[in-house]
Amino acid sequence: MILLINPMELMDRTILVTGASSGIGRETAILLSQLGARLILVGRNTEQLEKTMTLLDGNAHQIHAFDLSFVDDIPSWMKEIVGKTGKLYGLVHSAGIQFTSPLQITTGASLEELMRVNVTAALALAKAFRQKNVATTVSSIVYLSSVMGLVGQAGQSAYSASKGALIALTKSLALELSRQNIRVNCVAPAIVKTEMSKKILQALTLEQVTQIETMHPLGIGTPRDVAYAIAFLLADTARWITGTTLVVDGGYTAH
Amino acid sequence: MMTKQEFFKELEEVLEVDAGSITGDELLKDLPEWDSLAVLSFIAMVNEKLDVNLSADRLAKAKNVGDLILLLGNKISG
Repeated sequence: MILLINPMELMDRTILVTGASSGIGRETAILLSQLGARLILVGRNTEQLEKTMTLLDGNAHQIHAFDLSFVDDIPSWMKEIVGKTGKLYGLVHSAGIQFTSPLQITTGASLEELMRVNVTAALALAKAFRQKNVATTVSSIVYLSSVMGLVGQAGQSAYSASKGALIALTKSLALELSRQNIRVNCVAPAIVKTEMSKKILQALTLEQVTQIETMHPLGIGTPRDVAYAIAFLLADTARWITGTTLVVDGGYTAH
Repeated sequence: MMTKQEFFKELEEVLEVDAGSITGDELLKDLPEWDSLAVLSFIAMVNEKLDVNLSADRLAKAKNVGDLILLLGNKISG
């Protein structure tokens, strides 16, 4: 008789997921709950967070709605949460802004907002996570970058800047936080079927969309494809992995 | 809402051509500045200035500047 093991199990580990109201964040929260984790769902849309809650396995989860653009408040907010949930084993930053913007229409304000949520909040979350009595003895942070942080596309300079930043900061944070046994890694997906990509593809012609799909040898991804990678990096399966970016892209960057 | 003249001015800005160079009779294929990035900028502009959500596919059907105005319906006066 074979006893199947689950090296990716996350029984009773508390994991905070930002962007849990939709897309990759939502699916990640669902998968992590199926692996036994206790979820803290973070986003701005309470209604959508509650919807995510109904899709989770188990019932020890909590919702803590928060606008991550208030970066200076993130450390104290996280301490408050830990007061209610106990220490955190994991942090997944899936919240993010995307826009397609040729330089001629890119404004300082829109760029700043994008960088604020995608990058500044990522650092603020790490700053919060490393505070005394927040993280468990060993713990794991996963950031959502993108293939756009590795390769380029016209109209994506701002988004690329933010996603490239995550790949870089992951390395420095990995080195800075290893002394606290906090591993830090990044996942870089290509196009995944979510509300965000629907918005992106709507701005393109059918011809352009077909071309993009063709650039993914294995087709467009699903949120679960990315969730598996995040779970892998959170769990003991990645005990010896830090400072790296796991590309999950259906072959997009192989070209 | 904007007038035809205001629309031409916005279009000139999107295309980054000289003020007054758009007369309204131009075929889009004759405007070298009307490339895929200009299309994205145009979509962003009508979204921001006229609250219109234009899909790239609908926009691809436009053959000339007049068609662009038609796509925006009653948002363009005069």
